[in-house]
Amino acid sequence: MKKKTGFGLILFTIVCLILTACSGEETGGDGEAVVNIGYTGPLSGAAAYYGENTLNGLKMAVEEINEEGFEVNGTTYTISLETLDDQYLPNEAAANARRLVQEYNTPIIYTPHSGGVNALQVFNEQENFIIGAYTSEPAITETGNTLTVRIPPSYAGYVEPFTKYMMDRFGNKLAALPPVTQYGKDWAEGLIPHWEEQGGEVVHNASIDFSKDTDFFTILTNALEKDPDVLLIGGASEPTAKVAQQARELGYEGGFMIMDQAKLDEMKKVMGETYEPLEGSIGTMPLINADYPGTDEFVEKYREKYGEDPGSEAGFHYVSMYIFVEAMKEAGNVEDAKVIYENIQAGLDSLPEDKKVYNIPNIDENGGFEIDTRIAAIEDGEIVPKEVE
Amino acid sequence: MDVLLQQLFNGLTIGSVYSLVALGLTLVYGILHIPNFAHGALYMVGAYITYTIMTSLGLHYLLSILTSIIAVGMISVLMERLVFHPLKDSTPIQHKVAAIGMLLFLESFAQLIWGADYQQMETPFGQVIDFFGLTVTMQRLIIVITAVVAMILLYLFLKKTFTGATIIAMAQNREGAHLVGINTNKVAMLTFFISGVLAALGASLTSPINLVFPSMGHLVILKAFVIIIIGGMGSIPGAILGGYIIGFSESIGATYISSDYSDIISFALLVIILTIKPQGIFSKGGV
Repeated sequence: MKKKTGFGLILFTIVCLILTACSGEETGGDGEAVVNIGYTGPLSGAAAYYGENTLNGLKMAVEEINEEGFEVNGTTYTISLETLDDQYLPNEAAANARRLVQEYNTPIIYTPHSGGVNALQVFNEQENFIIGAYTSEPAITETGNTLTVRIPPSYAGYVEPFTKYMMDRFGNKLAALPPVTQYGKDWAEGLIPHWEEQGGEVVHNASIDFSKDTDFFTILTNALEKDPDVLLIGGASEPTAKVAQQARELGYEGGFMIMDQAKLDEMKKVMGETYEPLEGSIGTMPLINADYPGTDEFVEKYREKYGEDPGSEAGFHYVSMYIFVEAMKEAGNVEDAKVIYENIQAGLDSLPEDKKVYNIPNIDENGGFEIDTRIAAIEDGEIVPKEVE
Repeated sequence: MDVLLQQLFNGLTIGSVYSLVALGLTLVYGILHIPNFAHGALYMVGAYITYTIMTSLGLHYLLSILTSIIAVGMISVLMERLVFHPLKDSTPIQHKVAAIGMLLFLESFAQLIWGADYQQMETPFGQVIDFFGLTVTMQRLIIVITAVVAMILLYLFLKKTFTGATIIAMAQNREGAHLVGINTNKVAMLTFFISGVLAALGASLTSPINLVFPSMGHLVILKAFVIIIIGGMGSIPGAILGGYIIGFSESIGATYISSDYSDIISFALLVIILTIKPQGIFSKGGV
């Protein structure tokens, strides 16, 4: 008797589960149609701050879009953003992505790190979802994956203007101190051959491990011993600023070439709200100083909502969500990743002016957004925009 | 020659911080035989408390440190009372799991309260001074001097006071200490208090040269474990010597071998020392 009741209970539970699963599929709470968009990124651990910033941009876009919804083939859809934490680990990102596809049937999954992108590229074509890849690593779009969108510009675009500016202003002796990550190594490897081609000399090359080094004096003492004119530094903005600050303490007077992950405006905060120690730095244009059509409005709304200045992570994620929505509208489809992907160019063309936090005219054949890159240098304590040819 | 001197000073700075952190870890290990994985989290909490007092109450840096070390000492005692004391009759693995649990709890807690972003701790001692041809900031000199003073005070306390002697007695033989009438509960609490104080002191001193963030404890805790293994688990002179060995090997190794190999150098040193002296340089209990 007891056995029978147990079996009945299990059966009942299974039936319940099936019923809930079926009823939850098509519609949202009040009968409106919903598109699930996935996100897997570092929401805890060492890179949590970075993860939060990327997610803030997405959340803001989704909230705005959901106020009115968007119409595809006569049906009004809203977006439900499903987020999972991967602690910056590629294997976790892959597990999360599988879960997102199976549970929520997400046509698009965002991930803000190159390791995660690589892990997702293994199966995204079979499972049919687009990777919203937030990484400036060019290699991810060179693998021939047909459903990857690289959102920020490739760092390859910075190598030439950075080199030219630094050689003209400071000289041709470079000490490279990239972070020990894959991104940092690739960046340095992209820059060094070009630097040498232009007649420059690399006098020191060592990497900084921000997850292990408490103090940068040791590394900097060795680098500065070679008397460089230019230091190549990078990583997250705040620790990078610390490296620059300690270099100044050790009496360094040359320029800083700052990899695109670090932002001048965020570094300024660590320096005590002044650009003075960063005199002679070149890096990407901080979003708050940029002059794209939709930037001002976005910066204002972001400040109001989160009480701080937005970085490019938030800006790029925000605009990319709008682009994907436009692409879905153009495609007349919210489910098939392939069809949506084919319509991204159409989506870019129909993106409203006031949403252009960045100006992205084209997507290239490999899936990288082609962005009008803006760079800036610090001259006499001020941000000065520089032309990119 | 200049570089060598500069690097020796750099090694001295970083070694002082390592020693302070390792001392707290080794004290607790010596007495309770608990590898306190949460020690790095206490270090982080110490930095955050100093930072918060400085920014929200506007107290002076030194006063903030003082408040912070007392607060973290208390948190450490609380941790002993609420987590480790109730586990005193259980197996060592439960202590380890509890310690890791505390680590995760404190880190998530810090992220909840202070956010995941980097905070910058200002110091009134940021001036760069030329010290016999070396480039030194005031802050770094303070780190070295404070660390040495703290070590001397700790040594005098353990050797010259009756309360200190009870800690040593308990490290040498817990049951024996109990038999001669030492209140082991009190000693355990006192030890955790000192351990918390040292963690907060180390963190508050280093924070101005780096940043304050929830996972900052990871920067030092792994090295602190290496140090106490090199020095001998539970040995106080071992922790001090080990801290400076690692500090100097990092800075000198980075100069004459390669900075990319600084970890390899530390761990190779660990292997060599353990091959020669398997119990560490100073064996256990020999304070």
